[in-house]
Amino acid sequence: MITAAALCPSPPLLHPAVTGRDPVLPELRAACAEVAGRLARDEPELIIVIGPADATGAWDTGSRLDPSRYAPGIARTGRRSLPLSLGLGAMLLDQAGYRRPGVLQAVSSDEPAEACVRLGAELAGSGRRTALLVMGDGSARRTLKAPGYLDPRAAAFDATIESAVRDGELIRLRRLDEKLARELMVTGRPAWQVLAGALGARQPVTEVRYCDAPFGVGYLVTYLRPPTGADAVP
Amino acid sequence: MSTADARPQGVLRLGRHSFGRDRLLVMAILNRTPDSFYRPGITWDPVAAMEQVHAMVAEGADIVDVGGVPARPGDEVDVRDEIKRTVPFIATVREAYPDLVISVDTWRHAVGREACAAGADLLNDTWGGWDNLLVEVAAEFGAGLICSHAGGLRPRTRPFRVAYDDVVADVIDTTVALAGRAVDAGVDQTRILLDPAHDFGKNTWHSLEITRRLAELAATGWPVLVSVSNKDFVGETLDVPVDDRLAGTLASTAVCAWLGARVFRAHHVRETRHVLSMVSAVRGDIPPARAVRGLA
Repeated sequence: MITAAALCPSPPLLHPAVTGRDPVLPELRAACAEVAGRLARDEPELIIVIGPADATGAWDTGSRLDPSRYAPGIARTGRRSLPLSLGLGAMLLDQAGYRRPGVLQAVSSDEPAEACVRLGAELAGSGRRTALLVMGDGSARRTLKAPGYLDPRAAAFDATIESAVRDGELIRLRRLDEKLARELMVTGRPAWQVLAGALGARQPVTEVRYCDAPFGVGYLVTYLRPPTGADAVP
Repeated sequence: MSTADARPQGVLRLGRHSFGRDRLLVMAILNRTPDSFYRPGITWDPVAAMEQVHAMVAEGADIVDVGGVPARPGDEVDVRDEIKRTVPFIATVREAYPDLVISVDTWRHAVGREACAAGADLLNDTWGGWDNLLVEVAAEFGAGLICSHAGGLRPRTRPFRVAYDDVVADVIDTTVALAGRAVDAGVDQTRILLDPAHDFGKNTWHSLEITRRLAELAATGWPVLVSVSNKDFVGETLDVPVDDRLAGTLASTAVCAWLGARVFRAHHVRETRHVLSMVSAVRGDIPPARAVRGLA
């Protein structure tokens, strides 16, 4: 049973060690810390971090991101690094003081939508009160200075994600165009579809905490919880 | 135990400050002279000189080095004149900047004493211990001392057919001996620096050699100061006049920083600061100011 979820982006610059002396985008970091902190404070039995990576599979929960892969010169952890998305998710939970059980679930960037949705349903079906920390980014082609240069379709694609999340209509995320997502350098697609699968037909109540593309990459930070009776619309 | 074994291995104390090994410092040059070689007379007027101090501090100077006598030969500046040029100005700077490290560029103990009384923290003895009593002043006031290699020249003279079997060995022997003498005289050993003194008692080849082999001087363990700004060895190497030596100065600065120098006496504070920050970042001693390229 999914009790809550949070969406966070996973740019390397979210890690405080890699941006140098300037805490780049403090408002983004604060938003991520807030939603991850709420997940931890909800005291679920389990938090599953879901993030895109090269291959689908669970990672050792003791693993962490080695930021020296992005910033050689800072101290290496000396251990095999988690993929970026899971590493940043684990970092956010560490920062939130979360010490209870977790799962670090990678989902392949190439995983088809149906498989993502199926995986989400499996993760939700454990019978434990489970929260999800879903790591994923929008298009990296939002502006001329974006990593992937400007693609005029990027803004509309990200807007689709944002409105689906704001409206709590995550079912729409199941239908995202995988080929277009790849062309627009959208890394969050499979993780969002796992979330959509985990929530099933339920429309969560959502609170968007950050939605912008300050470096031409779409970042969305949101807290979501399934509806309770009090949320029912008469 | 010899003095060489007693050398400090890290912290450098100047004024109220302690600087770790990784911290590279800019010593800004402030000439209270009408006739120094670089931009003569620009800070002769006390108001202009103070403006210059404000600018240098704003650009990142850690130390201001106030001098009243040009290094090159010229009109006699006696002790009274030198004091008049430097000491009241040092007092003014001290009043404006209680924490700034102030250095006085003098070889004369009488000037050093007045300067320390007015607030100077450091005696820049560019002429390599010519006046034996200067170390006593440093000890008396708890001031720092820069021990330089001037090749045995008397103050304000130019090298004439100088030759060394090994200029770097001579620099090390001379400056380490001066440092030892200072420690014996009671100077705080954490406040002593060595300066190979580019151009002083050296031709261009010698100055290039001490730059190339600066790591050997740094390996003595004493903090090393270099003063390369706009000097003749840069001019002769590049065949450029004094107003066109910035690039050569900064290249030499970068090499010295890479090889272990810790204090850099400079006319161009901002540019020097940038070079030192860049070298420190390349070396991994400091992080970039702001890194987002490829990380978004």
